[in-house]
This record gives sequence, structure tokens and C-alpha cells, in this order.
Amino acid sequence: MSGKDRTEIFPSRMAQTIMKARLKGAQTGRNLLKKKSDALTLRFRQILKKIIETKMLMGAVMREAAFSPAEAKFAAGDVGTTVIQNVKKAQVKIRAKKDNVAGVTLPVFEHYHEGTDSYELTGLARGGKRLAKLKRNYAKAVELLVELASLRTSFVTLDEAIKITDRCVNAIEHIIIPRIDIITEAGRTGARGGGTEPGGFSWEVSRMFRVEEKAEENLPGGAASGV
Amino acid sequence: MLEGAELYFNVDHGYLEGLVRGCKASLLTQQDYINLVQCETLEDLKIHLQTTDYGNFLANQTNPLTVSKIDTEMRKRLCGEFEYFRNHSLEPLSTFLTYMTCSYMIDNVILLMNGALQKKSVKEILGKCHPLGRFTEMEAVNIAETPSDLFNAILVETPLAPFFQDCMSENALDELNIELLRNKLYKSYLETFYKFCKNHGDVTAEVMCPILEFEADRRAFIITLNSFGTELSKEDRETLYPTFGKLYPEGLRLLAQAEDFDQMKSIVDHYVVYKPLFEAVGGSGGKTLEDVFYEREVQMNVLAFNRQFHYGVFYAYVKLKEQEMRNIVWIAECISQRHRTKINSYIPIL
Repeated sequence: MSGKDRTEIFPSRMAQTIMKARLKGAQTGRNLLKKKSDALTLRFRQILKKIIETKMLMGAVMREAAFSPAEAKFAAGDVGTTVIQNVKKAQVKIRAKKDNVAGVTLPVFEHYHEGTDSYELTGLARGGKRLAKLKRNYAKAVELLVELASLRTSFVTLDEAIKITDRCVNAIEHIIIPRIDIITEAGRTGARGGGTEPGGFSWEVSRMFRVEEKAEENLPGGAASGV
Repeated sequence: MLEGAELYFNVDHGYLEGLVRGCKASLLTQQDYINLVQCETLEDLKIHLQTTDYGNFLANQTNPLTVSKIDTEMRKRLCGEFEYFRNHSLEPLSTFLTYMTCSYMIDNVILLMNGALQKKSVKEILGKCHPLGRFTEMEAVNIAETPSDLFNAILVETPLAPFFQDCMSENALDELNIELLRNKLYKSYLETFYKFCKNHGDVTAEVMCPILEFEADRRAFIITLNSFGTELSKEDRETLYPTFGKLYPEGLRLLAQAEDFDQMKSIVDHYVVYKPLFEAVGGSGGKTLEDVFYEREVQMNVLAFNRQFHYGVFYAYVKLKEQEMRNIVWIAECISQRHRTKINSYIPIL
């Protein structure tokens, strides 16, 4: 540890102040990131709860919807072929919008109807009511599917974002801050530089040395001049 | 036409009438339906059907058994029986049987027209056509570019030609909504069929005319009911009502003005026959008007067998067999989707 991680710093008062400022900066950054991570996690839990609810509902709705063609067929005969043949444009379309949570943009899908129902008169003479019910059931199923898709994309995006944010938080907390901490700690406690402490320098001791050097400089000069 | 049909009917049609009565005796009974309803899987259903007159009709099917396979096989069987009747029939029974196939032909033609206009491949549409509605010009449909072409080249040869001429001029064929066209063709077909039965007179008229009148009235009611809330205007709606039946002409005029179900119900108060049917709607089990009408149709068809020496037995047999097919498909769907709450909503026949 000591050999590789030594931060070379000039042992001056200003360097110490700069280091302290950096420490403060790192701590603030860490707190902000932690808040972001917390906000994202909160939203994540909400989305998860909603996904579970929607999935349960989905099961029931899909079952109902899958059964309605059988009912319609009983009353109206086989309209499937006519319906499939007449398909031209999609009636239900999806728009993607963006939602922002603590700086993370989440895609949100919203469905909208376009155009009129081109199958209004299908089953006019037989089974019209059952066909209408069939349309309603499947429309509901499609709406739920769109909502579920929206929730799941947000889920995945949020998951990524949370992982990254947490990584940053941990990195700052366990690597950067300790590193800066040790430098400032070393400065405070006056531990002797070198040996086992990385970047270990004693400000006061080195000051003393500087003073002594200066004193020695002056002394020999003086002494020399004195002689 | 010929009074004393008892004397002459069996000469030409006795064999076929006997045959159709034999087929009718093999329709599923209430006990059979109870057995079917208790099946857990489609394989059980197949085993139960083997004990009935259906026999081993599913024997050649590979696994897994699906509802659509059952449906196709049953339809093939019915078609086979019907073709046998048609091939052995003499006039005027053969015309009668041709009239019966016209309704399926109308559906097939609409399907083919649609497909030709959308440039779909003819083969796949032919596979979806109803086998009873086959006519020889079917494969030639993809030659036509526009509906009027289609009419001039092909449909003019089929028995459907007079119905098309009745509906509209050829130019209007292009713009017309496909569903409106279908309903207009059907109206024209019903009227022609009714006239044919009436002109034939005798027991056939006595049996068939009430059945066809009921069909006309039922269509009027259902079209009205289903057109609430759609873009179909009242005048358009009125052009779709067949011009015969108990409701013609005053009832139809009143129906054309109706705006919702309650108004329809008040119109029906004048017609003693239909009043109890409308009363039965809703109730326990959530019956719709269509369910009630289906039940009544089945009743009338079963009653047709109580008289002898008429063609109505053929019509009634085919309709009852179709209802039976619908019942079996319904039960099969309920079983395969494990949605057993409504499994008893089939319509019992015998």
C-alpha cells in the first residue's frame, strides 16, 4: 500500500488547506450522491410495487380477453378471417415521453387512439354485442400491456442508474475520502513522514527542519563571516 | 302446388327424407352434453364423442388436439352429409338445397372480394371459406381488379347474381362498406328464398315460412340493437330489414326510428309472439337477446320434424347440426382454456 499509493504533496500550509477543502468537497459530493441514490431507490420501490399490482391484474384481464373470442365465435360465427383481412392501420399507438427522477430520465409510454373503429359494423346481424365486449376486453388488455412495458423500462433504467450511483458513493466513501483523510490526519497528528504512512509528512516537523536549515545557513555564513 | 303431398312426395324425395330423419336421430342429447361438460381435457372430449354418432372422426388427428381441428372435422362431416343429399336430390328439392347454401356463399364471396381487393393470395382465402358455400368460380376471383369487374366476370354466373342486382347498381359496388353489402345481399337472399317457399305451397310453405319470417324479424331486431351507437344512419338501417315477416311493414318502420333497447321493447309490446322473448333477456345468467333468439330458433327447427312430406326437415337438420357444432366448440373452448364458469351456456337441442 505504501509504495504505490503515495501522494506526493509539497508540505506547505496551503497544500494542507487545499487538502482540507478537497476533503470537504468529497464529503459534500458523497452526501449529494447518497441523496440521489436514496431518491432513485424510493422511486424504484414504488415502481416495483406497481409492477406487481399490474402483473396480477394482467393475469385476470388476459384470461378474460382470451376467452372472449370463444364467446364471440359462439354467437357470431368466425369473424376472425374478415377482421384480419381488413387490417390497414393501427388504431392504438404509443408515444414515448420522458420523466425525470433525480436527474435520471425515464422513458414513459403512453397510448393514444387514432382513427375511427373500422370494425364498427362487423357482426351487425349476428353477435354484435359479443364482438363489442371482445373489443373492450382486448383494448383493456392492450392498455395494461403498455403500462406494464412502461413500468418495466423504467425499472431497468432505474436499476442501472442506482447501481452506478451506488458505485460512485461507495468509491468516494471507501477510497477517495480515506486517502484524503490520511493526508490531512497525518498533517494534524504530526506523524513522521516516510516509513509506513502513505504520503506521510509532518508539517510541523518539516517546518522545524526548514527553520533549522535556514538557521544553519545563516549560522555558517555568520560563523564564516564572523571568523 | 300439389295438394295431397302424401301421395307424391315419397316418389322423389322419400329416400332422402328418411335419411335426414335418421341423421336427426343421431344428434347429441342432453345426457351426451352432460357427459361432455364433465370432461377435463380435450382428449376426454374426443373419447366421449367416439361413443356418439361422431365415432372416430378425430382418429386421424395428430397431437395435440386443438379446438379448431375439432371444428374443421365436424364441418367436413356435415358438408359430406349435405353433399350426399344434394347429389341425390331431384327438383325442386335441389333448388331448395341450393338456396340453403346461398347464405354460406354470400359469406365466402365477401371474404374473397375482400381478399382480392387487398391482394391477398387466393389459396389462403380459399382455405378459410365455408365448405358448404363452394361454387365453381371461386378460384377465378383473383383475376378481377375491382368489385364491378368481379361481378361482371364471375358472380354473374353464380346463384348469387340476382341478389347483387337487387341490392344496387354496379357502380355503387365499389364504395359500399363491406358489411353493408353483406347484409343487403342477405336480405335479398332471404326474400327470394321466402318467395320460393311460398310459391311451392303445401306443407313446405306451412313449415318454412314461419321459420323464415322469424329469421327476418330476428335480423331486424339484431341489426337495430347492434346499430345503436354506430355511424349507421336510420335510413341505412331501414334498407337492411327484410321486407317480410310479422314486423313488416309497421313494425319495421317503428324499429327504424328506435333509439335504444327500451324503445325496442315498447315496440315489441304490440307483437304477442316476441314479447316473452324480450322479457327473458337479462334475468339470471345474463342472457342476451341473441341467446334468446337462438333458443327460439332451435325450438322451431325441432318442431319442423313433427310434420312429414316437406323440405323443411333438411333446412332444420342443417341448422340444428350447426348449433350442435357451435355447442361442442363452446364446451371444448371452455375446457381447453379452463374457464368453466360459463360452460353450461350452450343451447340444448333435444
